[in-house]
Amino acid sequence: MESNTVLGAGIRSFAFHEDDAPVLRDVHLSFEPGTLTAILGPSGSGKTTLGRLLAGWLPPGPGGRLQGCLSLSGTTLQFQGAADDPRINPAQWGRRVGFVPQDASAILSTVRAIVAEELAFGLENAGTDRPAMKAAVERTAVLLGLRGLLDRHPDTLSGGQLRRLAIGCAVIAEPDVLIMDEPFASLDAAGTDELTHLLGPLLRRGTAVVILSQAVEETLLAAERWMVLDGGTLTASGTPAELCASPGLLPAGIRRARINRLGTHRDFRAKLKPKPSHPAQASAPVLELRDVAFGYTDKAAKGRKARAATGGSAGDGPQQVLRGVDLELMPGEIVAVTGPNGAGKSTFLRHLNGLLRPTSGTVLVHGEDISRRPVGEVAAAVGLLFQHPRHQLFERTAAREVRFGLDRRFGGSEAAARTGAALADVGLSAHEDAHPAELPASRQRLLALATVLARRPAVLALDEPTVALDGDGLSLLDAAVRNAAAAGAAVVLVTHDVPYARSVADRLLTLDGGRLAPL
Amino acid sequence: MRLHPLTSLAAAGSTAVITTAAAYLPLSLAVIAAAAGLAAWAGTFRRLLPAAAAILVPLCLSLLVLHGLFFPEGITVLGEWGPARVTSEGLSFAVQRAAQLSAAVLALLVFSFSVSVPDLVAALSAKGVHGRFAFVLASTLTLLPAITSRLERIRQAQEARGLVIRRGILARAAAFRLQAVPLVSVLVEDAATRAAALDARGFGSTGPRTSYREVPDRPWEQMLRIVLLLAAAAAVAARLLQAGT
Amino acid sequence: MSSHSLTLPSTSPAAARKRRLLEILGALAIAGTYIYLVLNQPADITGGPGSASALIALSGFLAGAILLIVAVLPALPTSTLVLIPVALVLNIVLGQFVGSTLVPFYLDAIGTVLVAVLAGPGAGAATGALSSIVWSFFNPTVLPFAAGAALIGCLAGLAARYGLFRRFYLAPVAGFVTGIIGGVVSAPVAAFVFGGTSGVATGAIVSAFRSMGDSLLAAITKQALISDPMDKAIVFTAVAVLIYALPRRASLQFPFVRRHRVLAGKAPEQGA
Repeated sequence: MESNTVLGAGIRSFAFHEDDAPVLRDVHLSFEPGTLTAILGPSGSGKTTLGRLLAGWLPPGPGGRLQGCLSLSGTTLQFQGAADDPRINPAQWGRRVGFVPQDASAILSTVRAIVAEELAFGLENAGTDRPAMKAAVERTAVLLGLRGLLDRHPDTLSGGQLRRLAIGCAVIAEPDVLIMDEPFASLDAAGTDELTHLLGPLLRRGTAVVILSQAVEETLLAAERWMVLDGGTLTASGTPAELCASPGLLPAGIRRARINRLGTHRDFRAKLKPKPSHPAQASAPVLELRDVAFGYTDKAAKGRKARAATGGSAGDGPQQVLRGVDLELMPGEIVAVTGPNGAGKSTFLRHLNGLLRPTSGTVLVHGEDISRRPVGEVAAAVGLLFQHPRHQLFERTAAREVRFGLDRRFGGSEAAARTGAALADVGLSAHEDAHPAELPASRQRLLALATVLARRPAVLALDEPTVALDGDGLSLLDAAVRNAAAAGAAVVLVTHDVPYARSVADRLLTLDGGRLAPL
Repeated sequence: MRLHPLTSLAAAGSTAVITTAAAYLPLSLAVIAAAAGLAAWAGTFRRLLPAAAAILVPLCLSLLVLHGLFFPEGITVLGEWGPARVTSEGLSFAVQRAAQLSAAVLALLVFSFSVSVPDLVAALSAKGVHGRFAFVLASTLTLLPAITSRLERIRQAQEARGLVIRRGILARAAAFRLQAVPLVSVLVEDAATRAAALDARGFGSTGPRTSYREVPDRPWEQMLRIVLLLAAAAAVAARLLQAGT
Repeated sequence: MSSHSLTLPSTSPAAARKRRLLEILGALAIAGTYIYLVLNQPADITGGPGSASALIALSGFLAGAILLIVAVLPALPTSTLVLIPVALVLNIVLGQFVGSTLVPFYLDAIGTVLVAVLAGPGAGAATGALSSIVWSFFNPTVLPFAAGAALIGCLAGLAARYGLFRRFYLAPVAGFVTGIIGGVVSAPVAAFVFGGTSGVATGAIVSAFRSMGDSLLAAITKQALISDPMDKAIVFTAVAVLIYALPRRASLQFPFVRRHRVLAGKAPEQGA
């Protein structure tokens, strides 16, 4: 055993209970103190399972059958997938290996009322005395820029703040290894920068940092080593320079950094999409917003503390979210709406199908005012893809999910045909019997997209559609959006991913201070 | 000055026990008045009133109807309509029982509406009562308000996919099933992830624990708690002895 | 340095014996209280309110429930423990909602039965008892029913263990039987502590039996025999629907489900 290795694994195979096919096989890796390692892999490659296994979050035995070994700080544990295997002590393992899950809020205990106590939770359980605890909380808060938030309730934090708190919870016991699962997935450019700046002090302290990612972010170019995970096994390993030099080693499912995408997509669009500048001047607008204004009442705002806390610049008054919004959308047109986090983009989108009703102004679909029609009816014309797919999926299999409500509207054979077509459009034909909750995040989003596509709505409204998609998913989304527009649907997408918005949209708008303006 | 949460719990609990043991109408009424006064003084009366009414109004109504109209053991008949007989014994049984239950319920509600839950949780863990009960209590109280917004988001997603909730009990039951399944799935899955997180943060370890939050406990409060518990035990013993003779 | 070991020791038999003893004591306290109350009831009911029976019902049943919690709670794995708040929230939200309607059901045990099916009779009993105790934070009137709720959880866990959730039509049958037992045990609490029931609809049914000259305990027991079996049959069916809708991986993380093959489907793997 190399003395310099702090965490290592020799996984011959790992399978979940009742699954025949292993999720991971022949994965041999080790991490050295003070190094940054990126494990890159497309969605469904087994990254999350690997991360949880290494961090003791998925203990072999209760979590599944592991054949192979795990070694940590000089102790090596052998597993045969049998009943008398050693049982990992998650508490001791967790003190040495910190883990930040993709959904950062999952690390929170839910029983602590303020950020400081949440940070201290792990120390309380270890019996640390109060002065030492206070010092550790202070130190961690400084490291993560949480000092001003120590007395806030964790529920009131914004997404970026929550991620920093989660990292704080993972590193407060000063573990030797920190593993982060898709830390960049839902962060905008500012959030990504913040996260990058945190890595320096951790690495200098001697922590081995491991980042699991399906996208090559700029931050990862500074890593000592990249490992490529594809189909549950390690397919390549080397320095970033080596792997970048031979692109064949990186599967297509791994997204390239945001910077590159801007250029490639622009070229792509210039060559392949010579659209008329005013797509459908002759026909009537399919969707129209006239002078729409909206503000949360106090009662509604209560459940949206997080949004209120981050939303609206100082003088704006966070309660008034939309003011005087006008929009006309022609069939076949793609409009992208961008804006900073908390500008009210999701709120705007919820007006299109009546989930939120404007406090003044009107929304017209096919020239008809929707203010008196139930959402379920408007939904036939306006398909909305939500930001969090898990709230949108509720059936037992992917196929049933897409087919939900189609039988009643179109009859059995038409419903079956549409279901098959929509699943094929998002590349999920092979997964129609999978449980939606067991799909990886990227495929969950695509499945949610399929549920919208299957209805072939006249208006497609997409909320942050690129978040959590891997490279393959992104091209599927791109194709789906363009095909829908080519077939005559109007598409509105809100996103903080400006390069993608530029690449796909006919018109680019920005929502700031409650008003829509051309960018 | 703020009482230690366990002191207020002991006070509320022993009040409820003593009122039940005494079964004396004037005492019950006095406790009701005192509880209302305390709530008004603590400024929780407006929140407490609807909660208490939601519990006590149906309970008292049910008692009055049940015993006021049907009390076969009653002798003094005040009125009779078909099978229903209003007896003075029945009415007084109903009134006594209603007052006694209201007193116990109000005493406990005054406690739960005034206590600081984080303090209570910290006190429970520090007092050697297993931290696990504190976890269950605190986590339930955190999840309760969150569940409403969860259900709301699920309903929105379903409506956005063409679900129209119609009136009528069958349609509502079907809509309820559609919402309950994803709600429970999401909650169970979240719980699984949270279990891993808690274990990794040492929640399952058996060694000594400490608490970050300081909950001051004065010596006289500890004395008071012992006195209150002894008083409750004495009241129960007295009642049982009386019944035994 | 054993406490800093990266692996867990196997559980000691002494600790398991102590817990078993507490469980038996809790069950005895509940059973003893029930038998005492049923034997003594005729003398008591006309004796006026606040009689000794109320105190005995309260203290006997509560002590039993608390003993069960103390026995079970420390032994539960974290994956089961985090499920208990979820169960409690389901119980409270549904129970509060249904209790406010004019339906003579309670539906306040869905969470308890869910935990029982996933994690076994012990966890079910603890969840039932905890549910009453935590719910009494908002509604103190449910506190005395802790023992009954624990019994429901325990019986649901036994039903799951012996495969009654493997066939869809067996779940309501198991619920019906559980309801009969649970209703009979909870009736003395309603009779002696409350002198009636806390719901309007259930109160009307009790009134009907009282008008025929039944004693209070008999009337409430009969009402319970009408409401509870139906209620629990509905609850067990609802839980069966929920449990088969869960992702397989989520339900199979529970050793109880794997060991006793609670759910229909593939045969368990060897040694699991």
